[in-house]
Order: sequence, then C-alpha cells, then structure tokens
Amino acid sequence: MEDKRRSFLRKAAIGGGLTAFAAGFSTTAGRMLDHVLGKDQPKQRLNGNSLAPEFSVNPATGALSINPEQQVSYTMCTGCTTFCGVRVRIDKKTGKVLRVAGNPYSPMSADPPLPFQTPIRESFVSLTRYEEKGLAGRSTACGRGNAVLEQMDSPFRVLAPMKRVGPRGSSQWQPIEFDQLIKEIVEGGNLFGEGEVQGLRALRDLETPIDAQQPELGARVNQVGLMASTNEGRLAFVDRFIKQSYGSLNMVGHGSYCGGAYRSGSGAMFGDMKKMPHAKPDLENVEFCIFIGTAPGNAGNPFKRQGTLIAKARSGNKQFSYVVVDPVLTNADSLAAGDRSRWVPIKPGTDGALAMAMIRWIIEQERYDRHYLVQPNLKVAEASGEASWSNATHLVIVQPGHARDGRYLRGSDLGMVFPEEERYKDKDPFVVFDQVAKKLVVHTEARGVAELFFDGEAQVGADTLKLKSAMSLLREEALKHSLADYSAACGVPLEIIEGLAREFTSHGKRAAVNAHGGMMSGSGFYNAYAVVMLNTLIGNLNRQGGTLVSGGSFKDVGEGPRYNLENFAGEVKPSGIPIGRNVPYEKTSEFKRKKEGGKAYPAQAPWYPNAPGLASEWLTSAINGYPYPLKALILWSCNPLYGVPGLRAQIEKDLVDPKKLPLIVAVDPFINETSAFADYIVPDSLLYESWGWAGAWGGVAVKMSTARWPVVEPKAQKLPDGQAIGMETFFIALAKAMQLPGFGPTGLADNEGQPCSLERPEDWYLRGGANIAWQGKTPVPEASDEDIELSGVARIRPLLEKTLKPEEWRKVAFMLARGGRYQNYKEMFGLRLPPPADPKAHAAPAGAVLAKTSTSAGIKSLAAATVAGAAVHAVKEEAPYPSDWATHRYTKPMMLYNENVGTTKNSFTGKRFSGTPSWHEPAFADGTPVRKKYPEAEWPLQLISYKSPLQNSYSIGARRLRGIHPDNPVALHPDDAARLGLHSGDQVYLETPGGRAKATVILRHGVQRGVVAVEHGFGHRELGARAHRIGDKVQPHEPAIAAGINLNDMGLSDPTRNGRNVFVDPVAGTTVRQGLPARLVRA
Amino acid sequence: MIQSRRNFLRALPAITVGAALAPAPAIASAAGEEEGKHRWAMVVDVQKCIGCQACTVSCIMENAVPENSFRTIVSTYEVHEGKHTGTYMLPRLCNHCANPPCIPVCPVGATFQRKDGVVVVDGDRCVGCAYCVQACPYDARFINHETGKADKCTFCAHRVDAGLLPACVETCVGGARIFGDLNNPNSKVRHLVDQNKMKVLKPEMGTQPHVFYLGLDERFQGRVEGEGTLWQPSGHGA
Ligand code: SF4
Ligand code: SF4
Repeated sequence: MEDKRRSFLRKAAIGGGLTAFAAGFSTTAGRMLDHVLGKDQPKQRLNGNSLAPEFSVNPATGALSINPEQQVSYTMCTGCTTFCGVRVRIDKKTGKVLRVAGNPYSPMSADPPLPFQTPIRESFVSLTRYEEKGLAGRSTACGRGNAVLEQMDSPFRVLAPMKRVGPRGSSQWQPIEFDQLIKEIVEGGNLFGEGEVQGLRALRDLETPIDAQQPELGARVNQVGLMASTNEGRLAFVDRFIKQSYGSLNMVGHGSYCGGAYRSGSGAMFGDMKKMPHAKPDLENVEFCIFIGTAPGNAGNPFKRQGTLIAKARSGNKQFSYVVVDPVLTNADSLAAGDRSRWVPIKPGTDGALAMAMIRWIIEQERYDRHYLVQPNLKVAEASGEASWSNATHLVIVQPGHARDGRYLRGSDLGMVFPEEERYKDKDPFVVFDQVAKKLVVHTEARGVAELFFDGEAQVGADTLKLKSAMSLLREEALKHSLADYSAACGVPLEIIEGLAREFTSHGKRAAVNAHGGMMSGSGFYNAYAVVMLNTLIGNLNRQGGTLVSGGSFKDVGEGPRYNLENFAGEVKPSGIPIGRNVPYEKTSEFKRKKEGGKAYPAQAPWYPNAPGLASEWLTSAINGYPYPLKALILWSCNPLYGVPGLRAQIEKDLVDPKKLPLIVAVDPFINETSAFADYIVPDSLLYESWGWAGAWGGVAVKMSTARWPVVEPKAQKLPDGQAIGMETFFIALAKAMQLPGFGPTGLADNEGQPCSLERPEDWYLRGGANIAWQGKTPVPEASDEDIELSGVARIRPLLEKTLKPEEWRKVAFMLARGGRYQNYKEMFGLRLPPPADPKAHAAPAGAVLAKTSTSAGIKSLAAATVAGAAVHAVKEEAPYPSDWATHRYTKPMMLYNENVGTTKNSFTGKRFSGTPSWHEPAFADGTPVRKKYPEAEWPLQLISYKSPLQNSYSIGARRLRGIHPDNPVALHPDDAARLGLHSGDQVYLETPGGRAKATVILRHGVQRGVVAVEHGFGHRELGARAHRIGDKVQPHEPAIAAGINLNDMGLSDPTRNGRNVFVDPVAGTTVRQGLPARLVRA
Repeated sequence: MIQSRRNFLRALPAITVGAALAPAPAIASAAGEEEGKHRWAMVVDVQKCIGCQACTVSCIMENAVPENSFRTIVSTYEVHEGKHTGTYMLPRLCNHCANPPCIPVCPVGATFQRKDGVVVVDGDRCVGCAYCVQACPYDARFINHETGKADKCTFCAHRVDAGLLPACVETCVGGARIFGDLNNPNSKVRHLVDQNKMKVLKPEMGTQPHVFYLGLDERFQGRVEGEGTLWQPSGHGA
C-alpha cells in the first residue's frame, strides 16, 4: 500500500511548489524574531490589513451601498493580448489601483455575460452573495490580470521623455523637454555629437525614389519605419500617423514572431493570406477537441474564456473530451478530469506529419464528410444544409509547362468573357465536374453535387488539359508518405494517430481541432495548414459544436456613422515594397535583371508574397540594406529584440552603430530590450490610464468591442495644457510640427464633413466611440446619471461633454460605463443578420464575416451588419435560419488547394511550393534540412518554447507574479537526463548553433524525450533588470527580473542565407522557436 | 461510452476512488451572528481548476498578504503513473475546520472560531508565538512578517460580512471555487455537499474541514510527496 502510493506520487510539482503552502511553518523561527523587534499592528482586529470592501449589499434585499472612498470602473486589461474586460477598484483619494477582477458585461471575462442594458447598479449586485448571483455570473481576471496592477506604480516606468547621452544601449540618459524632443526628432541636426542626423521632416520625401534603378521600392519616405506590437485598441491611430499622414508604407506588428505560422496556415485555408482569418472550437458544444500547438486554459487567446469553458466542459454532463498534442505537458491537461483530458507528446515541429497522417487515414477510410465536400458553391451548400463550403471539387490545371499550371481552371478558360482586369480574378468563376451532367460547369452554375475526386483530362477550348480537383490533390499529397513514416516523423504511435482520427470523425460536425503559437517551427506554415484542414474534412465551420469565426468588433475607425476616422484631405497613399519583402520577387527589378542575366534565382534574400508584414525580416533587412536601409525607426510598445529568435545576436552590434540606423525613437512605458537601443524614449500611458477600443482576437462568436478609458489619471509628465505625454500626444505634436494632414484643429471631420479637431487622445477615441454607438439598426441607449456616477465615468464627464455632440456623449458614456459594447450573447447562433442599413456604416468586421457577396453564389441576406440586440430580420422568401448555424458566418470557401501558394516559387530555389497541406521536414531557405546542417550527432536535443499561465514577455516586472513564479528552469525528460547524468537542480550550458545560456535543469516526465522545454517570459536584460542613469540619478534595478533564460536569445540564423538574418518559415516568413537543434553541457 | 472509445490513448491503471466520505459537516454546532444562522463553507471542484493562480494573486491583493506568504495557493503536480503523465491542480487554503487543532494551542486565546464557522485570529491579542502555525495540519497559517501576527485565510470575512464573496471565489477562472452557506438549504454548496461524495484533506486528523473537494483523487488527500519542483514561490527552497 505504502509502496504503491509512493510510486504513484513520483511527481514534480509544476506550480505552487510542494513546500509552498508550508511557508508559514518553515519561516516561523525567523518571524518570531521579527515580532520581538516590533511590527506594525494590523489595521483591523480580525481582518488584518485586508482592503475595505468596495461596496456592500444586503444579502436579503440586494440593496447596494457604495463605499464612497473607492471607485469600481469597467475597462480593459492589457496584461496579455486577450484584452479582457475587467473591473478596476481604485482608492479615490490616492488614485491607487487596489484590485482588478472581471467585468460582468464582457464575454471575455464572464460566463455568461450580463445583458448590455443592465444598469450599473445591478451589475454590482450581480457580483455579490445576493441570491448567489456572484457565483452564477462570476467575472474574473486571471493570475496575471490580478497582478499587473503593480506595474502602475513600478519604479521602472518611464514617465518623462529622455534622450541618450552615452553610446546607444549604454543606459545613460538625460531628461528632455517635450518641445525640444519634438524639435530634435523633426529637424534633426548634430543631435548626439556624432555628426548630422536627418530628422523626420527631411526624411519625409514623398517624391524621390529610394533607388532610381528600382522604382518599385517607392519613395524615400519608406525609409522611416514603425514597429508596433498588437492592436490593443490604438493601432489605427498609429497607422493614420505613419501611413496616411506621414506617408511611409512601413508599419508592422508582432504577428510574425508571435503565432504567425498558425495564422498563415489558416489564412491559406480561408483564402486570405494577408488578413489570415481563423476559427476556434465552439467549446460550449463541441464533443471532441484536439489542441495541437496550443494549450487551452494554460495560455493562448482568449486565455480566460478558453480556460473557463474547458473547465466547464470537462466537468459537465455533456459529452466532451479533449486531447492536447504538445511536446510538453502543461495546465491544459487535467488528471482530475480522468479520460476526458489527455496529453499526447509529439516531437517538436512535426505536427504536420501527425495531421497529414490523420488526413491520409480519414481519406482512405472514407471518413471525411462527403456531403460537405461535394458542394460546388455556397448556395447549393446552404440549400442542402451546410453552413459553409469548400473548394474540394474545384478543378486545378496540372499541366507542367502550361502558362496556368497550378492555377484553378476558370470560367474564362471555358470561354466566358470578362474585361481584361477581371479575368482570373474574383468574378471569374471556378470550374467543377458536374456529376449529373457529366461535364465541366462553372461552379456558380452548378446545381447539384460535383465530382470530388476528379483526376483526368478535359477538352478546354482548343486544348486538352489535365485537371485535378483540389480534393484529389490533397489525397495525392497525403499519400506521399505512409502512415508508418508519418508516425516515425512525429513520434506519435500509429495506433494513437488512428485513434485520434477515428475519434475526430466520430462526432459528425461536433468535433474540432485548434492550433496556435506552438506552430512556430521551421515547417510551421504547412503544419498549421494541415492541422486546420482536419476541420474542413468534417465540414465543421460555422456550426454549433464545430469551429466558429470571431463575431467581429464594432468599428470605431473608418468612415463611421458619426465621424470620418478614415479619410482626410491631403492624405498620402503609401506605395512601394515593404521592407519585410512580403511581395512577389518576380515583380522586382532585381528579378528582371537576373533573369536577363540568365539566372533569375536565387534572390539576394527570400521574398514572401503569401505573408503579411514581417517584423521577422524587418531589422535585418534594414541593416543589410536589402531591399533598402532604414533611416529612422519608431518602436511603439514592441520588443523584437526580446521576441524574435536569433535577432539579438544578429544585430545587437549594428544597432549600437548610428551609421547603420541613424535615428531610433521608442514610445514605451518601460525600457525594454529593444527600446534600450533607442536615441529617445517617449513615455506612454499604461493599462488603466490609457484609451482604446479593442475587439476579441477570436473565440467569441458574438460581436463585441472592449473599451479602455482612463479610469485613473495618467502618471506621465503633463504638458502645459494638462495632457499627459503618451503615444498620441507625441504623434499629434510631430504632425503639428511638420504640418502633416489629418491632425490638428481640423484634422478630423464628422459624417457631414464638418471639420473637428484631432489634438488630444480623446478627440480620437471618444469620436470612435460615437461611431460604435451608432452602428447597427439602433444606437445604444443613453447613460443615466446613476450609471455615470457609479461607473466612475463622472471623472471624465467634462471631456465627454466637451468633445462630443450633445446627442452623443451620453451614448458613449453608456458604453464606457459598461466597458464596451456587446452583442447579446444569446445571438451567437441562429440569427440571420439583416442587410446593412447604411453602406457607410462599415459594420463588417475585417475578415470575419463575408461582407460583399462577390460571386453570384453569394446570398444577399448574409451581409454582416449587426446590432447588439438586433431584431431578426427575416427576408420572406428565405427558409428559416437554422438554429445551429453561427450568426456570424465565414462564407468564402475553405481551400483544400490554395492556388496563390501553389503557384508561388521559392525565391531561392525557384521551385514551386505545394498548394495543399503537406508534410515537410524543417529546412533552411535553400531547402537544406535543418538536421542535415546540424545533425543529431552534434545536437542531440531540440529546444521548444512554452508558456505558463502567469508570465508573458512583459509581465516579469509584476513583483507578486515573480513571488509565485520566479524562474524558468529548463525541463528535460528523465531518460535523457539519465543519459547525460543530470539531476534536477543541476547547472548546465544550453547551447544551440545560435547561442548559449547557463540554465538550471529540471526533470519532468511531462516532456517529450529528446526535448528541452524552455518557458517563455524570463531571461530579461531590461524592464528593471539593469539600472539606467537618467540625468544624475541612477535608477533602481531588481536582479530578480533577470531570472532564468530567454530561448529567443538562442534562436538560429539561416546558414544558407547571406548577411544578417534569422531562420524563418519559407512561406509564412515567421520565426522559429520550436525544434531548435540543441545540446546540454554540464556547467 | 467515452471510456471505451478512448482506449487507444492508453491503458490507464484505474485510480480507485475510495469511499472516504467527508465527515458530516458540523451544522448543528455552527452559528452565525445569530446562533446557527450561517455556516460558511467552500466546495472546490478539482476538475474545474485550471491552475491559473488568479485566486492566489487576488487573495494577495485583497488581503495585503506579505511577499513569500500565501493564504491560499494552488499546488500543481505533474503526475506520472505507468505510461501516462498528467497535470493535477489542487487549490489549498484554510479548511475552517469544525474541530480546529489550531485553536486550543493558542496561549492567549487570540485564535478562535466565529459562530459562522470562520476561524480567525484576533490581532489585538496575538503574540506571534506561532503555536497555531505548527498545530495546523494543513500548513495554512503563517506569521505575517509585516504585522508580526499569525495570519491565515479568513474566507474574506470582511467581504462576506458585507454581502460579497471571497476574493478568490470572485475571480476563479475555472469556476472551481464555490462558496456559500451550508445552513441555507438552497445554497449551491449545500446542494453540492448533499448530492456528491465529497472529500476533505487529511480526514484521518478528525479536523472536520469545511473546504470540501469534489472529484478529488484520494491519493491527494494526504501529504503529497514529490521530487523536484519546476517553479515555486520564491523564498521556499525545494
Ligand atoms: S487573460 Fe488575464 S492578463 Fe490577459 S487580458 Fe485577460 S485578465 Fe488580462
Ligand atoms: S482561480 Fe480557480 S481555476 Fe484558477 S487556480 Fe484558482 S481555483 Fe484554480
């Protein structure tokens, strides 16, 4: 008995350590002494120093009494990119944020959320013991969301502008007056005693080409670039400044070093490689779910919502079970949930082998959803009960040498006549083989099912063409490797692969697979494309229990119903080639020149026509001067040097040299690993003192926008007019100094074209709020005086009244009081959306729902405008809308074959990429497998990155988070450790071809053999880890912030490329942190 | 059944779920402000816990818990049995026992049980001798190094008395922590305790805990021995 127990209990505590709760006991002796020395008496006799409650409620009557010393306001958390709606509790006297929990109106935080109309008073009562409402409708913040409030009072905040005094990166700064800051950045000069630096005014050359020999690069203004991170609700403002107003093409976010590979793979299936739509499992109704490279409840986005729903599903009465496929075991698993939760370890970066094996098995066993896949167009699909459709039956020309080899056969190939510019574009229909008529018909004309596995020749005009359906191409690709080979590649036993495939195809459409950041490997794009394709094989998109696209957000920007936050007189339409080279190489002068020279390939460096903007390539491109150098770089709240694997080692020395990149300005509330190299740092607003309107990234299938507004006074230095310095004030001042269009006293216009000002942040965000308030059929209600008072909106009421029109401000207040605008949660399914009442409303969320029905197959009534509480707008002749169809549907076809990918050539090798999902072992740009260059004999292990629920790339500064989770020892399987003679706690050097770090080892059975797992969020050099001198004051520093290691410091460069570079996926251009060759050496 | 379908994943040595029922809650002796009015209790549904530590941090913020101490925390274990490895999350806090061993050892009578079952420390009387800290079989107490007093979870009595919920319950992302009045026949905790086989930690100690665990593997009821710790609170060496 005793022995059995002991062996069962051979376990490692992976959080809240074994001895943690024995804290009191173990520290008793020391504390006794403290007591003798005398301590502060606790404030309350029984409750110690606990906070006074924010309000109280009579549990019998529900009567609420407010604590007048505290304020509870609903706003947004920016503790991670989920951007949850939260409630912030503030001490009114000091402005100190006391605690943060969830906003009960927000579907990101509450399950279920409160109806939007609920008065604020009632929302407070809903959180209490009264009728146990607070249990049923609890609204939460996660561990990190509870802790990040500490950052508000962090001693490491940048609160006033500063300018470097020493060399770049030397941590020596001096404060600089705001006006002087603007002057220096705009006018340039000998700013650092190192020679002339061109200012932004001189760099704004909209005419002169960067290179007359390569006019396609665009004008010199493109040599000013802006790197941002993510859309936390203010990205459109930055976009307006840098693109439309200043005129540069170059602005980029963090996607390519975050989860971009997943998004690109999904984008290939959804047919949009730039916006990269994706769908998430309907966790409330799905019966079986596979998570590959994502860990619901452990990390990911929407973090809390997924956690809440997975916890509910695995403990509930409905049929549900899930499998997490991951090289490392995380909190996504729950042993307590028994068979409903399973962890399947896999070799890093081989998810594509697993997915292709499943695809092969599903096709061979004919367990795909035939009824779904044979539908030739949306209309026929809908009529036969499918909520989405695919292009499985569409025919592809497979005729090597043919001008359109690899392209879909189109109506114009069959003789349909189109104006030249529309030929082979959206309006030119695809072609299927009609099973009844036994002939080729354009897909829009097909009335019944089409041939699924077409593989043959057909007479097309004068030619005999070899054609294959997309499904045939997928099958062909899947059959390239045997199941045994796939199994060997991914390390998942054959019977588990088959079991997963069988189970996945045993629930009709109530099964789903999902992926995310774990896809960032050398074959990330194809791995992701293969994984998401499983969803299409069972046709689960838009269906209850299947996968759902985001319900989108209410648009604050754009040509809105109240204000035009889009266009303005004098606006620039930037053009040229983005510095990340995400355009076809074949359109460049270099290609032309090389082709004429007889050897078009390789290009000097890879190009990525099927990718969005690529931060992964930006800085190395700028340093290499290919396609052109940057003259000035603005960093806004981003940290590529910490986040891009391999980048630091590549360009650290170059960044120190102002000749290579003459001007770097950072706008950030902290000094991070990248902004440490800036010439100037401008403070930004932080968390609850900032503005913004953000949508849900995914996983919420109703329409919603979360509002962020200053519920406390911003802490940064104030300008004479009382505005705190921040991102907005900085760009407004730059625009004013350069007299740029789109900013200033007449920078904006209302919907009637009347000019209004853009001189303060609230000019933008409050008017954006008015646009949101007026979207849909009826505008939102007006806030009552009590709403305004109780929610703390009263604090900014003067701003509202001053900025907005009399009929507007209370509507905006209604939303700020509730922390956003939300469609009724019950409208997630079964609601046919009305056509947009006003084409100017621009209600369609980008990429989420079809807006314009571009083909005749489209159905008019499916346009995307919606309203919170929208009335069902039944169009008479239509059948009732099925109750298990998503209200917000994605209605373009799922692409089993993506012709844009399939006809793109690798700009190094000149070889065509595969247009279907496929399995490729990770390889460098010229096709050399990573393992050939860095063989197992020398690099026996593989590094992977994973996350905990607590730390992310910028959370380490929160002291109380560190208190729970201070470090990231690297995890190794006991079998590998035994081979290396290592034990938990041993010090090692972790080495990759890209770097080396000293680390502590921990042994875990929850790691795939051959893998070293490194948790993300540690190994910081800045954010407080190092002391900076500002003026004559040495700032504090905290060694605990430097704890652990950062895997990204050990990322690889690509040995088959020239110049500075980091190893990226060949299609998506996304960085690689899963599966880096590595070894451990005892320290 | 799901079970049979999912055999492909592993052959799991069945975890035997023992019959160890929770000791009957001491309702009769419980008392609120008015005798017998409330008996506060918590149910922890372990299947719902995702180990996010929102509870841990909210408690710290609400109750000014000093660094390196915890009134509640969620122990998270990597369990390896046979071929299978999985994650086990176990929220811990003061059990507000009906038979609390921490009370009789207090030489000055500073620690006592309220009539509603909440075990508290009177800061005016506490001399910080830590006898209670050592007497608690659950390691739920510590000496607060800022106040010099014994400190522990109070079920957020200051909030509960104001008609609110404990901080950890309000913000429990998984919905694992359920709090309420056992004396209220309509309360959720009453229903759960009546309708399920509840477990408590260290039942053999006879402390009659009032934190009940739903779905707890009996092998986690006692002291959990482990080897190695991936990460743990700072200041408490492995
Ligand atoms: S998941 Fe947590 S950290 Fe992220 S936004 Fe939500 S509460 Fe904040
Ligand atoms: S908040 Fe809830 S789900 Fe999160 S760790 Fe605590 S008990 Fe578990």
